[in-house]
Amino acid sequence: MSALSPQLLDEIKELPARYPQPRSAVMPALDLAQEEIGHLTPEAMSEVAAALELDPGYVEGVATFYTLFHLSPVGKHHFYLCTNLSCALRGAGEIVDHVKKSIGVHSPDEVSADGLFSYEEVECLGACEFAPMMRFGHRYHYDLTPEKIDAVIAEKKGLVPARAKGNELLPTRGEVAPQAPEGPAKKPRPPRKKKAADA
Amino acid sequence: MPELRGSYGDQPHHILTRWFGTPDLHKLDVYADKAGGYTALRKAVVDMAPADITNEVKSSGLRGRGGAGFATGVKWSFINRGAPGPKYVVVNADESEPGTSKDRYILENSPHMLVEGILIAAYAVGANQAWVYIRGEYDEPYRMLNEAIEEARAKGYVGPKPFGKDYPLDIRLYRGHGAYICGEETALLESLEGKRAQPRSRPPFPAVKGAWGRPTLLNNVETLCTVPWIINNGGAAYTKLGTEKSPGTRLMSVSGNVNKPGVYEVELGQTFRHVIMELAGGIAGGHELKVFWPGGSSAPVLPAGMLDTKTDMESLAAARSMGGSGGVIVMDDQHCVIQAAYRLLKFYAHESCGKCTPCRVGGDWAVRMFERILANEGSQVEIDNLLRVSDGLQNGRCLCGLGDSAGWVIDSTFRHFREEYEDHALRHECNVGKSAPPALRATSPQAGRS
Repeated sequence: MSALSPQLLDEIKELPARYPQPRSAVMPALDLAQEEIGHLTPEAMSEVAAALELDPGYVEGVATFYTLFHLSPVGKHHFYLCTNLSCALRGAGEIVDHVKKSIGVHSPDEVSADGLFSYEEVECLGACEFAPMMRFGHRYHYDLTPEKIDAVIAEKKGLVPARAKGNELLPTRGEVAPQAPEGPAKKPRPPRKKKAADA
Repeated sequence: MPELRGSYGDQPHHILTRWFGTPDLHKLDVYADKAGGYTALRKAVVDMAPADITNEVKSSGLRGRGGAGFATGVKWSFINRGAPGPKYVVVNADESEPGTSKDRYILENSPHMLVEGILIAAYAVGANQAWVYIRGEYDEPYRMLNEAIEEARAKGYVGPKPFGKDYPLDIRLYRGHGAYICGEETALLESLEGKRAQPRSRPPFPAVKGAWGRPTLLNNVETLCTVPWIINNGGAAYTKLGTEKSPGTRLMSVSGNVNKPGVYEVELGQTFRHVIMELAGGIAGGHELKVFWPGGSSAPVLPAGMLDTKTDMESLAAARSMGGSGGVIVMDDQHCVIQAAYRLLKFYAHESCGKCTPCRVGGDWAVRMFERILANEGSQVEIDNLLRVSDGLQNGRCLCGLGDSAGWVIDSTFRHFREEYEDHALRHECNVGKSAPPALRATSPQAGRS
């Protein structure tokens, strides 16, 4: 049984035609794979490679280079906590401690017992005037306090009603369709059903 | 509308942020009607010859706002407009220099300003296709820019015949996936081509052989956003602001221990005292300024005593620092410089792409020295090793500037705070901020994969 769904592999096979050279499709393809199964397993990377007619080692080389590709399991909701200097000067250290305590993990390699949460410390996310801040659920959260962390955790656990859905545009699908002067014109694919995850 | 922390509104020197804060400025109608948007594109495409556009930008003296500060018009003129085959404009929206949030500020407030700037640049250098390489974490800016491009497409500004001119223009987006090195232009091109982002050896320069082997103009978001104003008002008007060699304004994102962190548009030549003490409201909590990074974490630090240094590139060079990305990180006297330097070295070690040995190995070495010093296991040996590693990282020993930046953190903090290094390494004590909570302390090591 394959790691990725046949529909997704079909979708990945269409990506190379959207770029001046097919290799550029590797990251958008890995994005789709990660979105479908949560993290990039060796099998998934091999299947992406086969769909793009690339060497599996090459695809893995790309996936291991970029930090937004997860190579081990992450929770359904993943905290990207900025701990670079601007955030550290405004209490990012305490925020990291609070997140770890609240979701019950000791390191970025762990996922909370209910499978819902994981975290990692990331480098500057470019919203330094709102420090300390994080990326969570495809949006930025500013001026973090332990209370704000508690609130998003409660929301994802379903303890409070979810806020209106924000941006759920995913990388390759949200993008403008290629037009003349280059790349063959292609009908935009109907968007796939959005996953309820990571909203 | 995004929350605004910084400057906006009607002030004489506001070129970029003049209309920020206008409700729905991210919509094309509002950008066009209220802010006079797309008049510059019309003027450029309908009334001006491409060479005139480039000359206008040249005469403005505009310098790249990404970090290197290269003359924008000169860069444009490197592209051979008449060469056959595709040419590209690639926009560096991979903002990831620590302490820098200005491009996000622009993208969330006025994405059409960037779209207009890109289209003018593409027309000027003879490109039909532009690519915006935007960092993957910027979900909201990505969405807004995508919408802006679609609106511009619906109006025909992006498309086969902008303003009736038979000159197809198109913009597409490409998302980054979390790698600081992609801010370096040739690493960005590698990434755009679907590879590990490792800088290329130059020459050939991107103007000759860039994206997919084609002539490519690479500019930063803020740089391109300044272009519509220059086309509307003329290059000469731009030089009336700022200093002779660093004309105009730039966005400075002020962060850290200040009362009013924010992104402020500053006329170049103003002092950092103005930026930190006035615009950003001074140091928070009644503490004193200790040190600041004037242009992102890569810019060598300046101590409190150099607060009257001016923001133009020449003054900063004279102070042995640089304007960099315009990110001003401010640290008060409650924090330890050694810990700050350690945090930044961990960043550079983590983000090293691994291509050049001095940077791949040197960053980790420096981190280890800092760890020994901070664990009170240091001696003169660790200090000497740090300085040796720092030297090894600099002066053209690597293909790109990442190694230099790491070295500058060590050099500049040592230059201005030698006593603190010696307190830690030789006397095993920290005399700073003992009464303060450990806001900046060693965090757990990151899963370094790069």
